[in-house]
Amino acid sequence: MGPLIPNGIIPGNWNFVIALLIGIAFGFILESSGFSSSRNIVGVFYGYNFVVLRVFFTAVIVAMVGLLYFDHFGLIDLKRIFILPTYVGPMILGGVMMGIGFIMGGFCPGTSFTAIAIGKLDAVAYLLGIYLGIGVFTLAYPAYAGFFNSGFLGNITLTQFTGIPAHWFALAFTVVALVAFWAVRFVERRIRKNITEYKF
Amino acid sequence: MNKKYIFLAVLMLVLAFGTVFFKETNRPKETPPEQLLWDIIRPNRYVTTDQVAKMIIQGDPSLEIIDVRNDDEYSRFSLPGAINIPLDSLLNRNNLLYFGVPGINVVFIANDDIASDKAWVLTKRLGFNGTYVMKGGLNRWMETIINPKEPSVEESSKAMATYEFRKGAMMYFTGAKAGSLETGSATVTIKRRKKTSAVAGGC
Repeated sequence: MGPLIPNGIIPGNWNFVIALLIGIAFGFILESSGFSSSRNIVGVFYGYNFVVLRVFFTAVIVAMVGLLYFDHFGLIDLKRIFILPTYVGPMILGGVMMGIGFIMGGFCPGTSFTAIAIGKLDAVAYLLGIYLGIGVFTLAYPAYAGFFNSGFLGNITLTQFTGIPAHWFALAFTVVALVAFWAVRFVERRIRKNITEYKF
Repeated sequence: MNKKYIFLAVLMLVLAFGTVFFKETNRPKETPPEQLLWDIIRPNRYVTTDQVAKMIIQGDPSLEIIDVRNDDEYSRFSLPGAINIPLDSLLNRNNLLYFGVPGINVVFIANDDIASDKAWVLTKRLGFNGTYVMKGGLNRWMETIINPKEPSVEESSKAMATYEFRKGAMMYFTGAKAGSLETGSATVTIKRRKKTSAVAGGC
C-alpha cells in the first residue's frame, strides 16, 4: 500500500498539507516532552537530564521496529522510501558543529520554534542566529563546495553497506536503547546530587 | 523503577525480537535485471497467430488468453475465451492470480504486440513463467486468420498448408461457408522447390 504519495494513493499536491499536519503534531510532541526548555535539552551534555536521549531513542526504535512490521504486513514498501544520501566526512563535521551549536544555544532548530511558540526570548535570538548562519553558509558555499560534496556514498542504508539484514540492526538498537535508558539513571542520580540551583 | 516502564521495555524488546523471524518470502520473487534483459532479447516469448488459433480450435485447456487492451476495445471484439485485464490494472492483486498457475500458458494479446510485451515484461519481472505474447497482436490475427492471403503458386507447400489451415480457422472463427476452398495441392507439388525449406530453417 504505502508509501502513500509515491504509490498514488494520495495525490502529490497534498504533500504540503500533510507536512503541515505532521509539523504541528511534531511541534506539539516536542513541546509536551519538555523540549522547549534549554535546561532539559542540554542536560544530556552535562549528564543531569537524559530526556533527549530517552525521547529520541524511543522514537527511533519505535519507528524502526514499526516500519519493519509495516513492511512485513504489506502496509509500506521500504524499498520505495527516500533514503538521504550519505557524505561521510561532511556529515561527521556537520554533526560535530550541530552538537556544539546545540550545547551553546540550548536548542536544536526544531525545538527553538517550540520555544518561540511558548514565548521564550532566547529562542528568538537563537532563530535570528539560525537565519544569519544560513545566509553566511549560502554566501560562502563556493569556498568549501569541494569538501561539502566529498565522501559521497549514494543513498545507501546500513543494510546495503554491511549486508546485515535490517532486523538485526533493529534488535541491536532496541537492546542498546533499553540498556542506555537503564544506565543513564545512575549517571543522572550521581550528578543531580551535586546540583543545588535547579529543582527537578 | 516504575512497573509501566518495565512493561514497555519488555514489550519493545519482544517486538524487536519478533522482526528477526520475518522472512522475505511473503512477496513474489523478482527476476534479477540481467536475467530479465536476456529474456527480453530472446524471441521465445512469441507465439504466432496460427499457434493460438490452433490451440483455440483444439480447445487446449492449458491456454489462457489475456486481452490487455481497455474495456472499450475489448467489448468490441476479442478472441474467444479471452479475458480482459487492461494493462494499467495488470498488477492488481486479484489479476495477478492468473499468473504462475502450473500447467497454464498465458498469452497476452492487444492490437499489436507492444502492449502485450509490456505486460509480459511486468509479469516476467515478478518472476512468473509461462507467459507469452501473440506476435503481431490482433492486427496480425486479422491479416492471417480472418483474411488470409492466398500464397502465389511459386511458394512452398508449407505456405500452402498454412493457408489451408488459416482458411479453415477463418471458417471456424467467422462462420463463413466452406465453398471456395481451392485445394490446389496438385499445382503446388509440381512447383516444389527443394532448397526453400532448408534455407528457411536456418538462422
